[in-house]
Amino acid sequence: MKSFFRMSYPYILWIGIFIVAPMIMILLYAFSVPGNSVLTFQFTLDNFTKFFGDPTFMRVLFTSLRIAFLTTVFCILIGYPAALFISNLSEKRQTMMVLLLTLPMWINMLLKTYAWRGILMNFDLESEVKVFIGMVYDFLPYMIIQIHTSISKMDRELLTAAYDLGANKWKTFLKVTLPLSVPGIISGITLVFLPAVSSFVIPKLLGGGDYVLIGNLIEIYFLNAGDWNFGSAISLIMALIIIASMWATKKLDRNADKD
Amino acid sequence: MPSLKKLAALFIALSLFTLPALSLADEILNVYNWGEYIDKQVITNFEKEYGVRVNYSLFSSNEEMYTKLLSGASYDVLVPSDYMIERLIKEDKLQPLDRSVVDNLDNLASGVQNLDYDPDNTYSVPYLWQTVGIVYDKTRIDPEDIEAQGYAAFLNPDYKGHVYMYDSERDAFMIALKNLGYSANTDKDEELQAAYEWLREMDKAIRPSYVTDEVIDSMANGEKWMALVYSGDAAYILSENEDMGYLAPKEGTNIAIDAMVIPANASNPELANKFIRYILEYENSLMISEEVGYASANQQVLDELSGEGGTYEGNEAYLPRAGYELDEMYHDIPESLRSQYSSMWIKVKLHE
Repeated sequence: MKSFFRMSYPYILWIGIFIVAPMIMILLYAFSVPGNSVLTFQFTLDNFTKFFGDPTFMRVLFTSLRIAFLTTVFCILIGYPAALFISNLSEKRQTMMVLLLTLPMWINMLLKTYAWRGILMNFDLESEVKVFIGMVYDFLPYMIIQIHTSISKMDRELLTAAYDLGANKWKTFLKVTLPLSVPGIISGITLVFLPAVSSFVIPKLLGGGDYVLIGNLIEIYFLNAGDWNFGSAISLIMALIIIASMWATKKLDRNADKD
Repeated sequence: MPSLKKLAALFIALSLFTLPALSLADEILNVYNWGEYIDKQVITNFEKEYGVRVNYSLFSSNEEMYTKLLSGASYDVLVPSDYMIERLIKEDKLQPLDRSVVDNLDNLASGVQNLDYDPDNTYSVPYLWQTVGIVYDKTRIDPEDIEAQGYAAFLNPDYKGHVYMYDSERDAFMIALKNLGYSANTDKDEELQAAYEWLREMDKAIRPSYVTDEVIDSMANGEKWMALVYSGDAAYILSENEDMGYLAPKEGTNIAIDAMVIPANASNPELANKFIRYILEYENSLMISEEVGYASANQQVLDELSGEGGTYEGNEAYLPRAGYELDEMYHDIPESLRSQYSSMWIKVKLHE
């Protein structure tokens, strides 16, 4: 057991250097004012009052949450029937379909988004609609694969039993298939909502300059403005949102397990 | 299969030894420049002539370059803009050029001599330069008309929905400040507020599309009537589409100079100096300016390209307006002001 624990040292070191240290830096920056070196650290809440006191930033935050939520809902609406369809195919075909689904994921997301930019340029759509299309396209495979995995793990005999007991197709779906696939939906939500709420490449390329999400705000304050303090404060706020939504989905998952 | 494993191990060990060996064979020069800002052939020629290898990397903004430099990356030659060089000099991040090697400065164009940020070219040598101006479709907007309006054309509701605005806070504020008769380098709060109101009015009046480099192809295709662009990009647009005209507005504009410098932590300053001298040579300056459309810092090249039979003959955008009193270079502004610019610009773009 002891030697087993020793094997984790490299990972602890890795986490320390690449996750914990940067987080501490972000914390320090977020709670200090510009031009304030770490040595003469001066605690301030200015960056947070600036963010929460400004309706523009609150609107950006709200837009980010809204588009991430809509993306997740649409991924479920499109992804669930697709997953159901795939899991009803023969085993050989299922493997084929899953392969086809993962195929676009081998291509760099930046390239795919550029391709969408070329396509959507020809249509006169609202920026938000363009970004929404790009996000649903990009994150859909994660949702389908998660749901498909949980449906195909399900014991098929359960369906036969339900039919035997007189349930029709619809009722069987509602009472057997759907509840058993909830864990898949929940991990799908985690895999879609979290990257969607923090995405900045898709809104930047598809939305144009007047469409700003919270990820773009962070980029603007770090790169254009050079205001690392405010940028860090926004990053911290976003990290808290992500932690909160992970906690919420976990809670959902536990409730689903109880049923 | 132990033999296969052994073979694999041998292979990995071999590749570990040979890879660095391969790259050590040549002397290396690390160059960090703007994207699409050189004729690649010049690099290849330099490599051949000096028997070295050039590691050529790209940045898309001065701030990106600065952040990279802060993080400890080592480059031998950088090509930042004027205000950034001002900051780098102030922060002791550059080393003086070896003027016994870089001895061919006598051909500098009149517009790029004796510049405020480095008057004696101790640290920097101009590479290319440009102004900010308006590209417009002459079949849609009368040249005399737009000349009379200047930057106020961006407040003209007749052009609503037909305008591209370059998504750069500093340039956007520059046109507002200039139209209001202020300096582009102001730090007075009431002047900045006035510029902010001006930009909000612009957003409401013309609802521009906020774009970056895609403006080049879009204007070359004549998709909108008018756009704020850099003169070098305008030169390309004008050479692609003869309906397009270029205006350096009467209120004055920004003159931007990108110059070659050697960072203090360069690992091969000797070769860097040779590289700078090589770029300054007539033939190479000519190739670069001809390829990218930005004005050369070499007077002879400027004359050749804009003169009779030159590639940019009759192209109003190629030759920057020099010596106009109201034109200004940007100065480095403090962090707090830059952050304020960003916040205000976000509000303008989001129609607040």
